[in-house]
Amino acid sequence: MEKGKNKQSRRKFISKTVPAALGAIGGVGLVAQSCNTTEEEEKVSLLTPDGQLVEVNKSSMQPVSPAEARKGIPGKQFVMVIDLSRCKNARKCVTKCQKMHDLPPEDEWIKVFLMQDSSDTAPYWFPKPCFHCNQPPCVKVCPVGATYKRTDGLVLVDNERCIGCKFCMTACPYSSRVFQWKEPKETNFADREYSPETSTPHKVGTVGKCDFCPDMIRQGKLPDCVSGCPNGVIFFGNKKEDIVSNGTESFRFSELIHDRAGYHFMAELGTEPNVYYLPPVDRLFDYEKGFNNLTDEQVEFYKKSIVKKH
Amino acid sequence: MNLNPKSAKMLDYFASQMVKVSKPGIFWLAIATVFIIGGFYALIVQIVEGHIVTGMRDNVVWGIFIANFIFFIGISYAGALISGILHLLRVEWRTPIIRIAEIITVISTLIGPAYILLCMGRLDRLHHLALFGRIQSPIIWDVMAITTYLIGSIIFLYLASIRDLAALRDYPFKSKWRNKIYTILAIGFNGTPKQNRYLDRSLDIMSAIIIPLAILVHSVLAWIFGMTLRPGWHSTIFAPYFVVAAVFSGTGVLIIALWIFRKYYKLESYITKIHFNYLGIILMILGALYAYFTFSEYLTSWYGSETWEMEVLYKLFNPNEYWWWFFFAAIIGVVLPIIVILIPKFRNINSITAVSVIAVLALWVKRYLIIIPTLEAPLLPLQDMRPEYIHYTPTIIEWLLTFAGVALFCVLFFLFSKFMPILPVVKADEGNYAELRKTVLKRIVKEKMKETEIKESEKMKDL
Amino acid sequence: MKNLCKHILILGLIILFGMGNVFAQKAKKKTTRVGVAYFKSDTKIETLVATLRVKEKRYIPLNDAVLTFYSVSDTLKVLLAKIRTDENGQAIFALANNSKIAKDSTGLMAFVVEYEGNSLLKDAKRKITVKQAGLEVSFFQKDTIKFIEIEAKTADPNTQAAPINNLKIKLYIKGTFSLLNFANEKTDKNGIVRVEFPIDMPGDTLGVLTIVAKIEEDDVYGTVESRGEINWGIPVPLVKEKQRGLGDTDAPLWMVYTLITLLSAVWFHYLYVIFMIIKIKLAKL
Ligand code: SF4
Ligand code: SF4
Repeated sequence: MEKGKNKQSRRKFISKTVPAALGAIGGVGLVAQSCNTTEEEEKVSLLTPDGQLVEVNKSSMQPVSPAEARKGIPGKQFVMVIDLSRCKNARKCVTKCQKMHDLPPEDEWIKVFLMQDSSDTAPYWFPKPCFHCNQPPCVKVCPVGATYKRTDGLVLVDNERCIGCKFCMTACPYSSRVFQWKEPKETNFADREYSPETSTPHKVGTVGKCDFCPDMIRQGKLPDCVSGCPNGVIFFGNKKEDIVSNGTESFRFSELIHDRAGYHFMAELGTEPNVYYLPPVDRLFDYEKGFNNLTDEQVEFYKKSIVKKH
Repeated sequence: MNLNPKSAKMLDYFASQMVKVSKPGIFWLAIATVFIIGGFYALIVQIVEGHIVTGMRDNVVWGIFIANFIFFIGISYAGALISGILHLLRVEWRTPIIRIAEIITVISTLIGPAYILLCMGRLDRLHHLALFGRIQSPIIWDVMAITTYLIGSIIFLYLASIRDLAALRDYPFKSKWRNKIYTILAIGFNGTPKQNRYLDRSLDIMSAIIIPLAILVHSVLAWIFGMTLRPGWHSTIFAPYFVVAAVFSGTGVLIIALWIFRKYYKLESYITKIHFNYLGIILMILGALYAYFTFSEYLTSWYGSETWEMEVLYKLFNPNEYWWWFFFAAIIGVVLPIIVILIPKFRNINSITAVSVIAVLALWVKRYLIIIPTLEAPLLPLQDMRPEYIHYTPTIIEWLLTFAGVALFCVLFFLFSKFMPILPVVKADEGNYAELRKTVLKRIVKEKMKETEIKESEKMKDL
Repeated sequence: MKNLCKHILILGLIILFGMGNVFAQKAKKKTTRVGVAYFKSDTKIETLVATLRVKEKRYIPLNDAVLTFYSVSDTLKVLLAKIRTDENGQAIFALANNSKIAKDSTGLMAFVVEYEGNSLLKDAKRKITVKQAGLEVSFFQKDTIKFIEIEAKTADPNTQAAPINNLKIKLYIKGTFSLLNFANEKTDKNGIVRVEFPIDMPGDTLGVLTIVAKIEEDDVYGTVESRGEINWGIPVPLVKEKQRGLGDTDAPLWMVYTLITLLSAVWFHYLYVIFMIIKIKLAKL
């Protein structure tokens, strides 16, 4: 018996980088009962995904500086698992992402493709964010290091450094990048301080893409596409902990990938994505369900562009 | 060491041409100016409104700006490779060609990179290249290579012009500013044996170094495309392919320029059929090489028939998409020059020039076909409802800027021909400038005397 | 007579319609629903989380509405707090040993959360009863096998703690975003659950794992949570920052050297030629 002997060693680095998000609960009652806590520092109470009520200084929710955003959250390696058997093109991930990142309806950082591998195989819906590749071609070619790879696996873009050469857009084999062709519209994020972690406010003449919502991650929250999906298609987690979650279910990442034959999309390109797919077997929905919330024109278009004729 | 009276005569001829602009000259100059102004307007629109005014969108992120960029850097090869090689080989007939070739190099190396700048979303952050440059990026290689190349070409052009500059310095122009500039630029060159030795050595060094440099510049340019995982770009032969295509188009432009200046300055006795024939043969050989590369490139990707490669090929071979352009760029633009130059019956100054024009146009189209179809065929299906995101069409802004570039090229060329004789006048072995000065002065004195004689005789008559 | 009939008819219709309108208005009032749950966190902070939802097509959270919390016993109904709901429709009340809260002899607490409603929304209320419980997480090793032990006890400060048996305990490993369930067991008669430690889970750099034990939405005890940390996980080293590579800030060395060699070779010749030009200048007559 060595009961409690090993109880030492708090994770110091976490308490540094995830400020107050998971510790420091003292005085919750105060906050919860009275909403006006203007005295002292402004506080915000948050409910963590595991049901813990925590209180966070408002300032710690401010986006981190571009320099800080280059470092990455220590001890993490973020992965996403997308279960193709559950997707029916509900497009909530797309709209949630657009809301979160202040994007116009036509700019999609996560896209849902209708795929068919060959004319005899079954079509399926294919949500595709940026893969946050471990060997990212986009990062290799950037002349100024405006797009960069972090230790936690994220590939981010610093829109204050980007010169808009668009080389990364040609280098990314997965069409993940979106250019800001014109001055962004006035929005409620306009007065926000820019951070590569929030990717807002957008800057004209620079490149944007899915960022895995690092600002949410820092608060211990799942990215918006994950929590937004009504069918629990997208799982997200820290590969180092081997846990992924879609907000309601949690799995061991390795088991999920092993049992459900998870794969990399176009693994042959050698980009080593951090996004895994579970093949569309035993589907929850027929793929044609995905046409429900589309206009006729869109359905027509999808059907036309689905198989490439040669 | 006696002065060649022919040189003196030539200098005299050019000097008189340099100070005046003929009527057709003014006409063409005006047209070019209109185009340049149009380009300037387009530039302002693009800066104010953002890149939304171009036809480029998220899939086709590079459009004709990049095609122009490759095109101009390509024709800059004329000077670098041709004059470099001809100089090193001491080819007899090179003299009338070399100056024009070198000017093409410098001007197109100046204009080409401007198109890259036009393609950049944030011109105001150009200094970031110096602040945060990462040498892993082919763009940085390109920036370094092109700057080095430009400086090298300028040095080369300057060295090859020193003798003429010295001659011009000693030529009595009416406007004194010319002589002042020439005096500064000629840095006291007087054709002494020592100076000649230094100059020749420098010329040899520069022409030797400019050749590998030019090859490197175009390879780096090709690698911008070759390094990406895109069908139609990710090819190992892209660097030599680009180099050959570049020399091909460079030679074409050189022939066209020779033809124009021959006409405009009436240089029929200096630029003869021999020059066109020799250059035509070079053009033909390069055309064959280029055709070989094209064939090899498309044959391999067609034979392998990888899905994505086929996607691009399908676009190129589809009559509703790019087939006719491809037909022109890869077949007409190569086969026609080869046939015309190969068969002696067809071979004359005008026909060689005409096929050069075709070759140059074909090469521009080829650059377009390298860039756009590949970008229109991304690896993932193109499921976008916006037609302009699927198919690229250059906008009027892009065309205006393209034509402005061509016009600027012509105008700069023209201006240069007003500043320097378009052909090298003074040969290396005849450096007696004092002598030259004497001959010219003698001629002028003689003319003056004649004039006064005539006047006086007229006066006498009147009386 | 006819006229009178007509008038009565009209009057009747008006009244009918008016009544109808009133009914209609009443019928238009939307249904609301209050849900209450009791939480006790690892840090022993007890909260009542009340959620207010309004029925549209389905129930959606209603924010910025006031919920009233009462403590009730057989005879008394004491006002505890009025709290506004947040954007998730939640109002959170912390018990914090509030002396106003009444308990019966068995330690049972009863609360009522009420929503008053307004002209558009119906009122709603919900009652909840809870007994305070506590969980204790500890670890021990027997031979080579590592165990987690959970002890469930009542936790009324006024009475002696007693073990709770036959209580469902869920065991989780804490992740960054979620809890990973690895065991569900019922307590034995001593209120104890013993589970083998999941030794194949990766921990942090030191192998530290956080085990979360939970009583979840129990009818009597609500949700009670307790945590324990131990370094029995597999240590995962930190990623080393920055090597040289194509995708990193610094280029591979061969690339640096090649570039320097090429550039200096060319520029050396340029400088030499410029030197020559200077010599030409100096050699003028
Ligand atoms: S998916 Fe594209 S943009 Fe994302 S990391 Fe990979 S290469 Fe870069
Ligand atoms: S567009 Fe911006 S992020 Fe992309 S390669 Fe150029 S500078 Fe880097």
